[in-house]
Amino acid sequence: MADFQTSTHRSRWIFSPQELLEKREAANQRAAKSLEQFGVTRLEVHLDGSVSYAEPILDQKDNAERSLPKPLNCEEEQHMRIFYEQKIQEVCLAFKFPHKIQATAIMYFKRFYLQWSVMEHHPKHIMLTCIYASCKVEENHVSAEELGKGIQQDHQIILNNEMVVYQSLGFDLIVYAPYRSVEGFIEDMQEFCHTRDEEQEKFKNFLQTANAEVDRIMLTDAPLLYPPGQLSLAALHRSNEVHGVLDFERYLNILLSRQHSAYSTSQLFESLKSIDTLVGKLNIPTAKDMRHIDRKLKSCWDPSSQDENKKREKRSKHKSKRTASEMQGARA
Amino acid sequence: MGDGRSGGGGVNRPAWLQQYDLVGKIGEGTYGLVFLARTSLRKCCIAIKKFKQSKEGDGVSPTAIREIMLLRETCHENVVKLVNVHINHVDMSLYLAFDYAEYDLYEIIRHHREKLNHSINQYTVKSLLWQLLNGLNYLHSNWIIHRDLKPSNILVMGDGEEHGVVKIADFGLARIYQAPLKPLYENGVVVTIWYRAPELLLGAKHYTSAVDMWAVGCIFAELLTLKPLFQGVEAKATPNPFQLDQLDKIFKVLGHPTPERWPTLVNLPYWQNDQQHIQGHKYDNHGLHNFVTVPQKSPAYDLLSKMLEYDPRKRITAAQALEHEYFRMDPLPGRNALVPSQPGEKIVNYPARPVDTTADFEGTVAVQPSQPVSSGNAASGNIAAASVAPSRSMPRAMHVVGMQRMPNTGMSTFNVAPQAGIGAPSSGNIPIPRGAAVQAHQQQLRRKDPSMGMQNPGYPQQKRRF
Repeated sequence: MADFQTSTHRSRWIFSPQELLEKREAANQRAAKSLEQFGVTRLEVHLDGSVSYAEPILDQKDNAERSLPKPLNCEEEQHMRIFYEQKIQEVCLAFKFPHKIQATAIMYFKRFYLQWSVMEHHPKHIMLTCIYASCKVEENHVSAEELGKGIQQDHQIILNNEMVVYQSLGFDLIVYAPYRSVEGFIEDMQEFCHTRDEEQEKFKNFLQTANAEVDRIMLTDAPLLYPPGQLSLAALHRSNEVHGVLDFERYLNILLSRQHSAYSTSQLFESLKSIDTLVGKLNIPTAKDMRHIDRKLKSCWDPSSQDENKKREKRSKHKSKRTASEMQGARA
Repeated sequence: MGDGRSGGGGVNRPAWLQQYDLVGKIGEGTYGLVFLARTSLRKCCIAIKKFKQSKEGDGVSPTAIREIMLLRETCHENVVKLVNVHINHVDMSLYLAFDYAEYDLYEIIRHHREKLNHSINQYTVKSLLWQLLNGLNYLHSNWIIHRDLKPSNILVMGDGEEHGVVKIADFGLARIYQAPLKPLYENGVVVTIWYRAPELLLGAKHYTSAVDMWAVGCIFAELLTLKPLFQGVEAKATPNPFQLDQLDKIFKVLGHPTPERWPTLVNLPYWQNDQQHIQGHKYDNHGLHNFVTVPQKSPAYDLLSKMLEYDPRKRITAAQALEHEYFRMDPLPGRNALVPSQPGEKIVNYPARPVDTTADFEGTVAVQPSQPVSSGNAASGNIAAASVAPSRSMPRAMHVVGMQRMPNTGMSTFNVAPQAGIGAPSSGNIPIPRGAAVQAHQQQLRRKDPSMGMQNPGYPQQKRRF
């Protein structure tokens, strides 16, 4: 891959926690405001790839008569994003795509939602489009139709959103995933440890656990805060705690002195610890957790669905009291 | 809504387009068209490459995406500069705006062959070659293989601060090493076979940056002799990388490759499969020296033969070539390849690119398709030529109505400040988030690599310490 040091990834897509917060708040508030003004947050993506606000559905009279749906708060948006990022991993696994496709798609998804609220562009659509775009960029071309079919989704959604995604990414499409550097570090560590053949198995497990750790790291904010090399060292550090393969601190010391790095080992450990903390705090919402947020999104997205919900409620009352009460609970 | 499409002020063209005055069409290829335009504000020349939408149902053109993403990551004096990306939402086409370059090696060579009837002076040949290698070394050290180097893709800047500076262009086929490299024919793109390395012609599955060095060797020879070195006739019937005639042309000049000289040769699919034609036919070793005009013992000949080494693993690399003795002896290569360093040497005035001034930005006015976009807008007069290499797969025979040959008036034609960011199609196409992202993007486009930038181009004269 091209050089990370001069990459757009490094110069444009690594942020401070404060910057992430501000960007997300701005997007969230913009969506909330449009909900207030127009009664809807959804942005229409047209066949030609352009975007506009959905037709305002509220006039003054309406406004007075009925209550507006409530916008998602930032925390709910975060749940939503994590849920769909994990879905990206599931879909990529189902298609048996290589790791880097999954990682690139998640990075696209994360970057996209620094510019937009999930209330403006539906995460399900963007998720699919990010996977499609990632395949295109990583030379693993899958047609939109094939991808859509594989997960029973309308492929036209993908094509409609493709340009918006590229545009929101500023066409910075080359992404550095931690998986590759995990492999590189492991090779280097094997040399460092003068590994004997009978230890190969140990390193295989070490690699496997590290990759699983990267999978989790990818669901946090860490990829927007730290360079991929540090993400992979954090994963290896955690994996080493399980497998006890090497003296990690000594390895880092040697690594840094060899690279004449301006970093000190303690600084690097500080970063690794922060990544650890983010992973520790990671809370992957279940489908059940999502139901409430999803319903809320649905009503922001398309308030007419609220009316339909009511109708459905009435109908379903006869069949199942539970569903109906759940729905009421959700709206309360 | 969708008011973004008609732009402000009721002018029927996209807002982004209004920052350009169209001059005309300067080329076309399989991917789309290339236009010459001037920025409305600064009157700088810009080449705009329009990518058609790819196959039906396949979304945005992968070729365009590849070119954009690679050029977004590169910044080097000898690599063409992408200044802007515009999206035409009407037909999902992409418009890439490039810094402008007046000439290309195809035209320079042709001018010498057909008009001047004399060879290119040694200083110019050496400077062009050195800068080409310098750009290529940058790409290769960033793990990018160009894969489609040919004279028409090697641009040379016209009058101005960067006069005579080489720019490598056309990254539509370029790849990052790690990406799986599909055989060229799978891309469905027509690529000139004359510059194609023998390992590709013999069906190698895994190939390296050495394929670019072979092409550089072919281009070097062509700069010396003004004739393509290996002019094979392309077999177009089958979508097949195996090009017997091209191999035949190479073998006639360089002799038959042998497993002794090229051990991995025996593993190449077409070497194994086509014993009758390839292995069976015996070639007399005519020797490269009969085909080029430089003495067999000269450093130029030595460098050329190292670029045309059969075994890709033994072929000279761009970094090694830059250190070759050829570049350390007089005349030393310089930054302005077109102006000879020696006094008394005649300056050659190369013709500017032909411009078809009757063309318009096709498709950008689809709101009212019948209305020509350029009416009243195309600058009627003297425009120097443009920057993106127009594909020569449809040769220069542009139907030319009102074509004009431009004199080299001293136009300032580069350092165009990006005017509207990629993220912001400036009218109402995307209603919101712009600001920050766009700003950052503009900085990005101006990003300079301190070691590779213009301040320190690292020419041999300057870095030599012996």
